[in-house]
Amino acid sequence: MKSKLLIALGLISSLAFSQEKDSTDVVYKKRVLEGIEVDFLASYYKQDGIHSSVSGGMGSEKLTDLASNITIAMPLNDDDVLTVDAGLSAYTSASSSNINPFNATGASGGDDDDDDDDDRAPATGPYGTPWQASSGASAQDVLGAVMVNYSHSSDNRNFIWNADVAFSNEYDYTSIGFGGGMTKLFNDKNSEISLKVNVYLDQWRPIYSTELHEYAKYGTTFQSNGFFSGVTILDQNGNATTSYLPSDFTTWKSTNRNSYSASFGFSQVATKKMQFSLFFDILQQEGMLSTPYHRIYFADKANYYIGQAQYIPDYESTQNKGVYQLADDIERLPNTRFKIPVGARLNYYLNERLAVRTYYRYYWDDWGITSHTASIELPIKLSDKFTVFPTYRYYTQGNSKYFAPYETHLSTEKYYTSDYDLSTFNANQYGFGLNYTDIFTNAKIWKFGLKNIDFRFNHYDRNDGLNANIVTVGVKFVEQ
Amino acid sequence: MRKMILAIIVVFSTISCNSVKEYDKQYINDPDMKLSARSSERYETTFQVYREAASGANGGKTGGGCGCN
Repeated sequence: MKSKLLIALGLISSLAFSQEKDSTDVVYKKRVLEGIEVDFLASYYKQDGIHSSVSGGMGSEKLTDLASNITIAMPLNDDDVLTVDAGLSAYTSASSSNINPFNATGASGGDDDDDDDDDRAPATGPYGTPWQASSGASAQDVLGAVMVNYSHSSDNRNFIWNADVAFSNEYDYTSIGFGGGMTKLFNDKNSEISLKVNVYLDQWRPIYSTELHEYAKYGTTFQSNGFFSGVTILDQNGNATTSYLPSDFTTWKSTNRNSYSASFGFSQVATKKMQFSLFFDILQQEGMLSTPYHRIYFADKANYYIGQAQYIPDYESTQNKGVYQLADDIERLPNTRFKIPVGARLNYYLNERLAVRTYYRYYWDDWGITSHTASIELPIKLSDKFTVFPTYRYYTQGNSKYFAPYETHLSTEKYYTSDYDLSTFNANQYGFGLNYTDIFTNAKIWKFGLKNIDFRFNHYDRNDGLNANIVTVGVKFVEQ
Repeated sequence: MRKMILAIIVVFSTISCNSVKEYDKQYINDPDMKLSARSSERYETTFQVYREAASGANGGKTGGGCGCN
């Protein structure tokens, strides 16, 4: 695989040097960016599924997300542009709420570590179900992100370099990233090669599921302390027991998560109506690559529950209204991951009304996952201002060698996950977009003219039961 | 599949690439012909990174910056 990529890179590079010689005479230097441009973007995302990874591959995956973003590109002079990108994303999730699936007296409810609340005897006894959201604080979170990018173009506009820094934060995760890139155009700007490198130095602040949090805190006496004090644990037959002991569980000692990537790209104007690009990334990830609140249930370990015993026989169905299975461990994945995605785009201008945009990606990583992605979009110009574009995307992947469904892994395995995002599945995504463009920016707010409005709707269907809808609205203003 | 991808790369690499002059690029410069994802696809790319094992080679995150795959 790696030798073939090297051959491909060599061919692309030889093409780069076989073109007509560029003229280096600067006749006219057009300003890279004429004025400040402001982009607003907002989306609403809603999903549902039946394989919650927080509940070990079983349970509701209901989630809604509201996200918004503003991007401001500012010309500093004729050659340089500063771009600031900031956004917020707020989600509510039935799945993540079940980090603490019981009522609000659960220990990992996201509050401080004061145990005064945990000693309070619950009125009716805690219960939960993987099929419904709990009232825990982990049901919702807000992600904030900001990125600043500086780019410089040469006088002849054939060479561009950029540098960027990024920061994002949510309740249990912080990311700091930086990177840079170079782009070289040649052959009368018909050909382009690019290289980008990025580093993310991230940090988990692990949240563990209630039962494992208490075991880590109190050790073998956890059933007499904290959340479990006065709480009845049930066995598979619904009888009270004190045998539950998640001895396989240990907390993460090192919580760093670092990613290093290099991206290579080549694009070519092939004819007056067709152009294409080829690109691939090389990515290495290191550190805590497991998600600390993804439960694992071992097939060779007995099952234990908290809640209402009459629902134990119906645990795996939505008829389960009031019992939750206690975890044997959390997912354990290797602390390194090497990824290579390879992609291509080809766009063809059929006529003044219709163009074709296509995309393909092949993905491989050393966790055993391979995937194919293919998409097509047909921009149809209804008038000089309105364009509608139906879209279709197909995705298929093979499972990671560390994946197994709910209650399938054995405790003797070294690595295990029941996260269905790493399973075998196919996905179809179809939708449409609508674009309004006013090149004369007749509508104005203050000194900014409205350049275009975008609307997109897509429906996403995975054959493992997960489906989602997403609506996106974007508005672009340019300085007059 | 690997052989097919390599073959496509070889074919494209040997295409005779006569230069298209700037004054002939009215179709290539159409906004719908841009060789990148639309900016309005950003959030779709984000949820695909979260819900699928694959990432990268699409202008989105290649990994890092989120507690996702």
